[in-house]
Amino acid sequence: MSLIEIRDLSYSYNESKKAVDGISLNIEKGSYTTIIGHNGSGKSTLAKLIAGLLPIKQGEVIVNGLKMSEENLPEIRKELGIVFQNPDNQFIGSTVKDDIAFGLENKRVRSEDMEPIIEEYANKVGLSAFLDHEPQNLSGGQKQRVAIAGILAMHPNIIIFDEATSMLDPKGKKEIKKLMYDLADDEANEITIISITHDIEEVLQSDDCVVLNKGKLFMHDKPEKVFEDAEKLRQIDLDVPFIEQIREVFRKQHIKLKAHDMEGMVDELWRFASNH
Amino acid sequence: MNNLVFGKYIPIDSLIHRIDPRAKLIGLFLMIAAVFIPKSWIVFGVIALFIAIGLILAKIGIKMIVQSFKPMIMMMIFLLVINSLTIKTGEVLFTIGTFEIYSDAIFNTLFVIVRLLLMISITTLLTATTKPLDLTMGIEWMLKPLQILHFPTHEVAMMVSIALRFIPTIIEETIRIMNAQKSRGVDFENGKLGEKITAILALIVPLFSVAFERAYELADAMEARGYVPGAERTRYHVLKFEFLDFLFIIICAAILAFSIASRFYL
Repeated sequence: MSLIEIRDLSYSYNESKKAVDGISLNIEKGSYTTIIGHNGSGKSTLAKLIAGLLPIKQGEVIVNGLKMSEENLPEIRKELGIVFQNPDNQFIGSTVKDDIAFGLENKRVRSEDMEPIIEEYANKVGLSAFLDHEPQNLSGGQKQRVAIAGILAMHPNIIIFDEATSMLDPKGKKEIKKLMYDLADDEANEITIISITHDIEEVLQSDDCVVLNKGKLFMHDKPEKVFEDAEKLRQIDLDVPFIEQIREVFRKQHIKLKAHDMEGMVDELWRFASNH
Repeated sequence: MNNLVFGKYIPIDSLIHRIDPRAKLIGLFLMIAAVFIPKSWIVFGVIALFIAIGLILAKIGIKMIVQSFKPMIMMMIFLLVINSLTIKTGEVLFTIGTFEIYSDAIFNTLFVIVRLLLMISITTLLTATTKPLDLTMGIEWMLKPLQILHFPTHEVAMMVSIALRFIPTIIEETIRIMNAQKSRGVDFENGKLGEKITAILALIVPLFSVAFERAYELADAMEARGYVPGAERTRYHVLKFEFLDFLFIIICAAILAFSIASRFYL
């Protein structure tokens, strides 16, 4: 059974246009799923529907066997955490440790048990030295790490990153992406990651890729399979990663390259050139 | 505007920072009452001295307090002009052309200005040394009796705390929008009244739009982290009255008593 099952899900903010239109898909436990698409394609709406931040009007969302409904919402919320695009809009606490504590307070963790949890997760995101700092005074990457620590402290099974790196500088982007990859690789906790992104390189690192277009599910497959159909992506003006563009050029010359990373491709091409 | 410090928390450790937020709120009300009662410069001096000691103990520079006065300057000038035009009692201190300025106009304005400055200083001292979440807890505690009337004390306290937390963010946003509009030729300083209103609209409309966007995202972030208005929560910081807190309240009460007494004896 999939951890998240979405069945014929639709949502509209107004009568005239559906933001999400009849989407059905499954997300497996422990997987890293990226959702791509243009602005207005329904990515964030889909994320909010999965997180229970928008009411389900049509269709179904089932999280860990629980159907999204008002009664099940508190239980489902325990499963989920969401990191938003703008780190400045996510802080409640006036210091890093207060902000991490906010979710624990809502979860009714006893005050004497909070300190070690806060320290553990601040350490996990590399912010142990910043516990008494004001989140507003941190760098963009550090702010997002605070938001992630706040989510991790609540032990969610699923974390949704809603364009969590899009407002960061290259350094911040790198920090957060590394943290996301580390979480995805953490087999002990088996956290399911859903990342809404415009970063094609990140998509290549994921297990599954969902492409949305005008609220509809356009493609859903392994990233390499999605990018193999470059023509289909170009129909909706989406970028194809550089490495896939190289593969496409060789494919047109009837040379099929297997590698999906730069190093592997260089090796493969080197071997190919040596043999011919 | 980016120097506006009112409502901003300074995260350092000091004696004043360690005082229970409930004691600080009680102190705030006692001190505001003490500021409003007297008509004696001596009492104002004592209150100012108390604030100065508080600032030193809180390790807050006088610069921060002076900065917190800046937004009030226009109001003070306006007050002075209005009082000069309307109050015609006391002695004539000086004349501007044929217009006479009376001593009561100047002294009454000075009284109001000093009261205002003292109030701003006290409030800045409170917000600079109290984390917004602690302030929430303090406000919630003070509003507790209203729970009998089903008043949503926690929600109100949370709203106040978030409003305080977002003051610097909204100010930054205002500066950003002002700069963006200035770069497109909007003049906020010069022009006729109509032009100024248009310029302010060019600031206010996007500011409100952004503020609502931020509010929605914050609400989503809070909800996603399990916040349910009115639901029971535990606390990371558990408030506990200690000797220092009682001492602080006693000192504030003593200043209020001195202020009341000054009306009869000074």
